[in-house]
Amino acid sequence: MSDREKLLKKVQMYKFAVTDAALFLDTHPDCAQALGYFNKYRKLLKEAEEAYEKTYGPLEICSEQNASRWAWVDGPFPWELSANL
Amino acid sequence: MWNYEKKLEYPVKIKRPDPAAAKVIITQFGGPDGELGAAMRYLSQRYTAPTPEVKAILNDIGTEELGHMEMICSIVYQLTRNLTPKEIKESGFDAYFVDHTNGLYPTQASGYPFSAQIFQSTGDPIADLSEDMGAEQKARLTYDNILRLVDDPDVRDVIKFLREREIVHFQRFGEALRLVTDKLDAKNFYAFNPSFDGKK
Repeated sequence: MSDREKLLKKVQMYKFAVTDAALFLDTHPDCAQALGYFNKYRKLLKEAEEAYEKTYGPLEICSEQNASRWAWVDGPFPWELSANL
Repeated sequence: MWNYEKKLEYPVKIKRPDPAAAKVIITQFGGPDGELGAAMRYLSQRYTAPTPEVKAILNDIGTEELGHMEMICSIVYQLTRNLTPKEIKESGFDAYFVDHTNGLYPTQASGYPFSAQIFQSTGDPIADLSEDMGAEQKARLTYDNILRLVDDPDVRDVIKFLREREIVHFQRFGEALRLVTDKLDAKNFYAFNPSFDGKK
């Protein structure tokens, strides 16, 4: 597994935890345990995104990585095989 | 408003093209229980949902479905790359290819194009959420059928992830339906439409 794939996998893993916890919280908004879980992974997600973006470019339009050069346009795009390797 | 995240929800990395598999998997893009229909169903229904929790779950599952549509399209895209005319003919992919080449077009496996007639938005939360639970089960069984037809572990791994999400969404919609009925008369849930009747 390439360094890029390792960092991307971390982002995807933490984002998935956040997405799944958010759906649970939508129907259980007063569950403190779920909110604690959400906050734990939200923080890990932010760190993983920053680590990925520093080397491999922006994950979102408003990323720091777009500030001095329009890196958003750089490939590969997510549906391409090379973006997942 | 939506923002794009430049990554898939779950990685799609298919080493071996297989247009015959693409022909059946594309039904989860534009078919009757596919991800495009799922996203449009929930994102259309959310406006008249009766409580904040139900608005939120329809919004957020609808949003996740857009990401699933992207994953299905990525599978089809990767399964149909670098094909020769001979491979296209022998796999039966030619009927799709003649109209769309390798472009992604929302269609059922049979070739029938995507239609908004596959879903409803009734303005009645009990009817809508009951449809949504059925829709998640129908998508789940479609993924089960795809797993019966496809051997490649690279493809199966992604399909299994998507199948699992159908089960989680079914659970969340069940909870949303309960949140709606908890606020109604248990003797007759259908006495009125909580999204329409008795508005102040």
